[in-house]
Amino acid sequence: MKKLFLASIITVLISNAAFATETIKANVNGMVCAFCAQGIEKKMRALSQTKDVYVNLKQRVVAVEVKEGQTISDETVKEIISNAGYSVTSITKSDQAVATIKAQLEAKQEAK
Amino acid sequence: MFFKQLLLFAVCLQVNNYATAGPMGFDGSFMVMGDFNNNWRESFINYAVTPRDAFGVSATYMRSDDKSKTRTLEEFTYTRLLHRWNLPNSQANLWFAGGIGALQGGDKLATGYDNFDKVMITPGIQFDYETTRVYFQTTYKFYRASDINHDYASVRAGFSFYESDYDKTQPWFVLEARNMNGLSDKVEVTPMLRLINKSFFVEAGMNTDYKPRFNFMYIF
Repeated sequence: MKKLFLASIITVLISNAAFATETIKANVNGMVCAFCAQGIEKKMRALSQTKDVYVNLKQRVVAVEVKEGQTISDETVKEIISNAGYSVTSITKSDQAVATIKAQLEAKQEAK
Repeated sequence: MFFKQLLLFAVCLQVNNYATAGPMGFDGSFMVMGDFNNNWRESFINYAVTPRDAFGVSATYMRSDDKSKTRTLEEFTYTRLLHRWNLPNSQANLWFAGGIGALQGGDKLATGYDNFDKVMITPGIQFDYETTRVYFQTTYKFYRASDINHDYASVRAGFSFYESDYDKTQPWFVLEARNMNGLSDKVEVTPMLRLINKSFFVEAGMNTDYKPRFNFMYIF
């Protein structure tokens, strides 16, 4: 019984880890115009691993949510943004969904 | 004449210090552009083969203020992003845009019309600087054929009424001064309203002679 309980816990932990939300957040220099930055969104959405994309011009952030069980490397994100004509200054990983990041950034803007 | 020289001086000064904005889309995209008023109607499409290079075709109709000269030009074009400066809250670009094509012209003379066909070349340079609130652009483009000089110079500056989110439409006020050598002695000044969205770019205005102007750009 004890073994069964332990196995269940491990299974839940493994499945949660495998299907945890992963979002890559890039800070981008030069991104000032929606018309010009549309290339970033289109190229990111064209990746089969992409679940959702969010672009915030005011805070210069591009957030890419990865589909469950899949990965996108930091290098891929950097390359797409560079090829669209912009400079990536930093990349961080988040376990929050794009919708949550969007809500947080917009709330931050409204608070200013 | 003084204003024309002033405009050319301003263009040269800015080109030496900086460069221009957006005559091509992102790698693998098509850009369609149109610029229309009574004396200048231009449309072009290009395809970005790399993040910095685009090839396309263009058609332009030009007419002098007194309607005595008309020109039509069909050309193959090449656009190159020479340099881009990405700063935290701004971006600046220096572009080369040039072409070669067939020019058909007609000059009204006392004795009738003088019609001609020539090869025209149109190398030019453009600089732009932009933040989410202000915009500046200057362009100088040669329009040359044998015995023909219709060089084009323009300066544009504008501001957005407010910052907007990526997926919202942002309105701008833009003021442009431009001159087409050999077609107009005047510097044409046009205030315009610009609307930018992630999917489209349109401008509409009326110059100081009350002639309407309409521009658009679309990337796909």
